[in-house]
Amino acid sequence: MNLLGVLEISGSALTAERQRAEVLASNLANAQTTQTAKGGPYQRQLVVFGTRRAAPSTFAEALWGFSDRYAQGVEVKRVVADPTPPVKRFEPGHPDADSQGYVAYPAVNPIEELVNLMGAARSYELNVAAVQATKNMISQSFEILR
Amino acid sequence: MSWIDTPAIAKLSDYLDLAAFRQTLIASNLANIDTPGYRTRDIDFEGEMRRAEERLGAEAAAPRAFEVAGLLERPDGNNVSLDRESMLLAQTQLQFRLGVEILRQEFQGISTAIKEGS
Repeated sequence: MNLLGVLEISGSALTAERQRAEVLASNLANAQTTQTAKGGPYQRQLVVFGTRRAAPSTFAEALWGFSDRYAQGVEVKRVVADPTPPVKRFEPGHPDADSQGYVAYPAVNPIEELVNLMGAARSYELNVAAVQATKNMISQSFEILR
Repeated sequence: MSWIDTPAIAKLSDYLDLAAFRQTLIASNLANIDTPGYRTRDIDFEGEMRRAEERLGAEAAAPRAFEVAGLLERPDGNNVSLDRESMLLAQTQLQFRLGVEILRQEFQGISTAIKEGS
């Protein structure tokens, strides 16, 4: 049993939650974007989380052969586009307006994104707390050596 | 078992191993708090400790982790409880510290004996 492997697990969660926050921030930033590289308005992005085995080439693995089958980290499996159709707003003067004068805006609800962002921030904090706890345990185990 | 390997030391090392293993499971549970379909896993600490005592001196067997039943499940199939894991995180930390302190006392006792109490 080794505690450095536990840090890998919590670390994977920190990475995943940060990626989630990045995607949410990009949704917020592009809430009014009507032009994208592939044409049409910006599409809201969603992250999909999945469990992940401790990476085989990590430091802990190299040092202790850490391959605990119960150790499950987390990773962003993929980022998918929200298929919700864009919101049409009547703005005849807008350069992206269609023949009827409607402009397609991304179906992004800023409040929803902010709530998700808060969730991501809290989960991040939670895993930082787990890292602190594990760090304390590791440094306590050095006490045996004294 | 050599003279320096007292039964207390063997037992304490099992205790620390179990605490570290439980820490692995708690970290996994916390890491996957937003993963759809993830189930909370834990060990039966006392049961595993008893099992370790029965095979004292024999080769260590890996503890058995199981999915915890009776937790409130969210619509996405995830049943990680923040309160439960936070409590266990604090508890496991203290247990580990307790184990380390007693182990240190044990070694200090041996050291005192070696140095004839000086």
